[in-house]
Formats: sequence, structure tokens, C-alpha cells
Amino acid sequence: MVKGYLALIFHSHLPYVRHPEYKQSLEEKWFFEAITECYIPLIRVFQGLDQDNINYSVTFSLSPTLLAMLEDPFLQERYAEYLSRLQQLARKEEERTATDPVFLPLARMYRERLDFTSYLFNEKYGRRLVEAFKELQKGGHVELITSAATHGYLPLLGIQKETIYAQIAAGVEYYQMIFGNVPKGIWLPECGYDPGMEEILSELGLYYFITATHGVLYASPRPKYGVYSPILTPGGLAAFGRDPETSHQVWSSKEGYPGDYNYREFYRDIGYDLNLDYIGEFLHPAGMRSNTGFKYYSITEPTNHKEPYNIEWAAGKAREHAGNFIFNREKQVEYYGEIMDRPPLVVAPYDSELFGHWWFEGPLWIDNLCRLIAENQHIEMITPGKYLELGYPLQLSTPNPSSWGDKGYHEVWLNGKNDWLYRHLHTAAEKMISLATNFPRAGDTLKDALNQAARELLLAQSSDWPFIITSGTMDMYAKARVTSHLVRFLKLERQIWENNIDLSWLRHLEATDNLFPHLDYRLFQSLNETVPVEKDKLTGVI
Amino acid sequence: MHPSGKDYLDGGENLPLYYGGDRLVLLPRDPYWLYAYWEISLPTRPFLESAAQKNWESLDLVLRTHRFNPEKNEEESHFDIQIPPSSDNWYIKAGVPNKKYRVELGCLLPEKNFKTVLVSNVVTTPRDSLSDIIDENWRLPDWQARRLYWRIARGNLSSMEMMKRGLQQVK
Repeated sequence: MVKGYLALIFHSHLPYVRHPEYKQSLEEKWFFEAITECYIPLIRVFQGLDQDNINYSVTFSLSPTLLAMLEDPFLQERYAEYLSRLQQLARKEEERTATDPVFLPLARMYRERLDFTSYLFNEKYGRRLVEAFKELQKGGHVELITSAATHGYLPLLGIQKETIYAQIAAGVEYYQMIFGNVPKGIWLPECGYDPGMEEILSELGLYYFITATHGVLYASPRPKYGVYSPILTPGGLAAFGRDPETSHQVWSSKEGYPGDYNYREFYRDIGYDLNLDYIGEFLHPAGMRSNTGFKYYSITEPTNHKEPYNIEWAAGKAREHAGNFIFNREKQVEYYGEIMDRPPLVVAPYDSELFGHWWFEGPLWIDNLCRLIAENQHIEMITPGKYLELGYPLQLSTPNPSSWGDKGYHEVWLNGKNDWLYRHLHTAAEKMISLATNFPRAGDTLKDALNQAARELLLAQSSDWPFIITSGTMDMYAKARVTSHLVRFLKLERQIWENNIDLSWLRHLEATDNLFPHLDYRLFQSLNETVPVEKDKLTGVI
Repeated sequence: MHPSGKDYLDGGENLPLYYGGDRLVLLPRDPYWLYAYWEISLPTRPFLESAAQKNWESLDLVLRTHRFNPEKNEEESHFDIQIPPSSDNWYIKAGVPNKKYRVELGCLLPEKNFKTVLVSNVVTTPRDSLSDIIDENWRLPDWQARRLYWRIARGNLSSMEMMKRGLQQVK
């Protein structure tokens, strides 16, 4: 008898970063590292579970910007080059450690992982990793959901409802173009929610979204089961609230699993440790030291003293932690089960980029977790989509405005460092709505310019820019990016009204800021005056 | 110059400081704070200057924050903040969660008259506690509600303080 459900949700997102103007870009490396260290290891885990016929359920949100990067031939080529350099380094490392019984097994582990990564990326999927996700979804254990087009932080952009509509519709459309089906659910960027947006989500065919704990907990009327049952929002969508315990067990800096002394130390990397004569050719051409991903030490203790990494010990810990996680879930659902008239649902969302990159053993932990739960009598894994099919009556309630960011509301994206942005973002959106409404049937160059204006605006709206500006590292990059997209937008807008489009410049802009090739600028048409064109198209597919 | 380079694509341009319009936009930051930004265009300034009989630099600009009950939409109160004419944005300590707010920008005239020049959109501050509204069809017995919310609060250590506040009502 099932006593409770666990919905593991992996939110995968990176901002759109693509710099053909540079030979190598530090920022593109975020994406390359995430493929090597997170996405492929996670794909490998789920493929392994499918192969062994394990009964598991997980949800993956893939942000449209991430999908667009995975589908971009230029970035695919760059990644293939990056990976091939890492493979060279792996062979060099095997030679360097050939007589070292402690480090050779580690060098070999990295070489084997990279060889497999190359096989999967280059050979099996012909550089199109979205095929791997497609396959997983077809396998029936993985539910893929979407997010807002460029991960715009919707509560602060929602001054213009058209922005919310365009962000969501473009995200849903792009997902549909790649995966063929309409997504059941959406990951609201940063869990940013504000009442009213669910009408748009529902109109676009979505059934559910995820909120921070207090998004559902502080909903009104008061939710009878806290965050352990979804609520039904007035728009007709279900809202699933994040469970605080599962997030704490993984995220807590003190007690969280990733801090275990047997796990791999992130900050000891041969990119910093080895002599430049040896490692230099694998670092950034400007000679800056950087991470290579080859890390040979364990966390050991909270000092600079580090012992070599032991693969077996770390694997043992990942198993132990998976067991501990399940034990805690059993206790948790037992507790809530006494209060509720239905099995409690524990919603545990995480950033995918935590697993494999920061927490090297994270994918292995997930693998163990899925295998152990498959044998467990009391806990069953489920996706939000499948949970809704169980047909439990849901309480009608309006979620509370909230986010999963620091302090739980909007301050990460609205503070003294980044508040200057909103004047420009709102004005640009207003200008875009006016363009889209005034040119409902543009063709040829005018249409191209309008579509590109919509792309530039969407790119400027990424939640990543205000987030990075707040965090203070790489903030110059974020400021430059958001400024560029706004400047490009304003220039396009001027040229469109003046009927004086610089075609050669437009073509270069299209080739550079090239995401969402089928984007239709009319997504930004005023919601007061017109029925958006895309709505019919979407309903047709549903 | 690389055709994908910033220099070429941005054409050396930067963002304008102002857009030449009149607008006042209000955003909620959290249950207690609001953020407002505004732009008063040059042609609009004389309206205020002539009403107040002062030049722009010496105007007593005021941001008037109105608070409304979200259910009944009735105004509950308002308060004024003096703003230097050189400012174009302000964080407002609104102080009460789950209320609707609107701000007006204007200046104080003699005899406490207020001349409005810009009116903002309406926003609602988020709750920072459990809702008082309980649907009788979805009500837990009190002792069970305490057990449920107590454990959720304990689990949410990262925002313990926030949750504690929310829980005072069920204790």
C-alpha cells in the first residue's frame, strides 16, 4: 500500500550565451560544463534505469534558452571541439599518472567518462542531445515540461500581461516544435508567481506549475493539506508547492549531503593545481587559470588539507544518502498521512546544474534513489502530471506571490543593484506591444525586423541578468548583455517606425542573437485589442 | 570589426537615461516594501511649477501611497513621502502584507492641497503568513492543523522567521 508520493523535479536552465565573435568564451563554458558534468550524466542515469526496467518517475524542465543552445549548430560544433580538447587532456593525464596507483584510477575514470560523453554526443545523437530527452520521455518515466521563453522573472515583468503571454507562449511553442507534444506543466522561472498569470498558462494548454513552499502554504483560502497536496488555482491549473524538508536535506550548507567529507572537492582542480607549462594549452587562451573538471581530491575536512578522492567510498556514501533520503520520506509521509485523507505528495524540485557539477556524486545519488524506491513498499515516485490523473479532488485556492529566491519574494531581482533595469524593460515591452499591434500583417524585411525585435526583447528579459548583477560575480557581463539587447531592440524599433531598416545589420543581428527561429512577433500583440494569433494554432495541436 | 561583435551590433549606442514620457510604475518587492520609478517629461513640469508657484528644483515633490483593502477595494489609509525633485525612483516601506497599493506623485500646495501629476498601477503585497480565510469544506481540526503547519515550518529552516510569523495564527 502506497503511503506517499515523491515528485522529483529537475529544473534545467542556462541563459542564452553564444559568442561567435570570440575564439573562446568563458561564458560559453558554463554551457559546456553543464553538458559534460550534469546533463549527460543525468541522461546516462535515466537511460540505465530504463535499460534495467526500473519503475521510476521524474520530471525535467528544460528551459527554452537551454533547448535553443542544445539545438544550435555553432554551439554544437564548439562543444565538440571543447570535448575533444578535454579528451586529449584526459589521455595526457593518464600518461602523467601512469605509475601512480592513487591517481591513475581517477584519471582513468575521467577518460572513460569523457569517451562515453563523446560517444553519446557525437555518435549516438549526432550532436542533438534533445533526442536523448525525447527518447527518455517516450520511455514513459520522464515527464518533460517547459519554462518561460528566456526565463523572464514574470512577477516583475507582468506590468504588461503581453510579456507574460509572449514569454509563456514562445516557450510552449518551442517545446512543441522540438518534442511534438504540448507540455503538461511549466516551471515558472525562479518559481516566480503572481496571481493572474494562471489564466494565461491555462489558455496555453498547461495543467500545472510549481511554486515555492509559501506560494502554496500562504495561498488563500488556507490550504488544508499545506504543500502536501496541490491546490487548484482560479485559472483551473494546479499549483504544486515545494517541500521544505527535501530541499534542506540536499541544499543545506551544513547538513546537506553534498558536503560529506568523502565526496569530491569542487575547488581542487588541475586547472589551478598543475604547472602552466603542462596545463596551459587547455586553459583559456588569455592564460587565465580555470576549472578543467579534473578534480582528484575529496572534501576530507573543512581545511585546506585534502585527501585523494576514493571512488568506492564516495559511491558508498551516495548509496547511504539515498537510503537516508528514503528513510526520511517514509517518516515524513507517515506523519502527514495521519493528518490527510490521501497519500501525501512530497514535491522536491532542484536545479539540474547542482547534480554532477557542484555535487559530483549527485547523479549517482539519484540513480540509487530511483532503484531503492522502486523496491520500496511505501513510497512511490510520481510526476505532477501523473499525480493529477489520480483524480484526488483539489482545493480551490489562490497561491501567494512568491519565488524560491533568497527571502522568498522578489528582492533578488529587484534591489539597489538592478532596479534601474525595469524602467528600460517595461518601456521596451510597451514599444514592442505597440509595434506588434500596429503591424499585424508585416511581411518580408519588416516582418524579419519585428521578429528580431521580439527576440532582442525576450533576451533582455532573462531573469539571469538581474540575478547575476545581484550576485556580483560576472556582473559586468550581465550588464553588458542586457544593455546590448535593449540597445539593439531600440535601434530596431526606431528603424521600423522610420521605415529605414538597415538590412545588412539586421542579417548580422539575426545570425548572432539567433534563438527561436520560428518566433512570431505577434505574440506581443496587445491583449486588449486583438486575439493572439498563436492561440488558435496551439489549440489546434492540443 | 567582427559582424557578431558588440561594437558593430550596438553601434556604440547606450541606453537612454529617459524616454521623454510621463509614467509612474509601482512594483511589489516583498510583503513590506514597494518600489516605484517614474519619469516626468519636460513638457509636464510646468503644470506642477505653476500650481506650486515654484521652480522645479525647489518643488516639494511628494509620493503619496494609498493602501486599499484587497477584498473590498476600499481605501484604508495613505501616507506621504517627501521626494527630492532630482530622484526618479524610491523604495517605499508600505508595511502591511496582502494589501493593495497605488501611489501618486505630485506636490504639496499651500493649505495641504495635493496636486497630482502621475498615478501608478495598483499592486498587491504578498502575504507573509497563513491566510485567515478558511473554506469550511477544507478545514482540518485545529490540533491536526497545528501538527501539519508546525512541521512544515520546522522543515523550512532557510526561512524560519518568515514561517514562524505565519504560524502565530494557528498556535
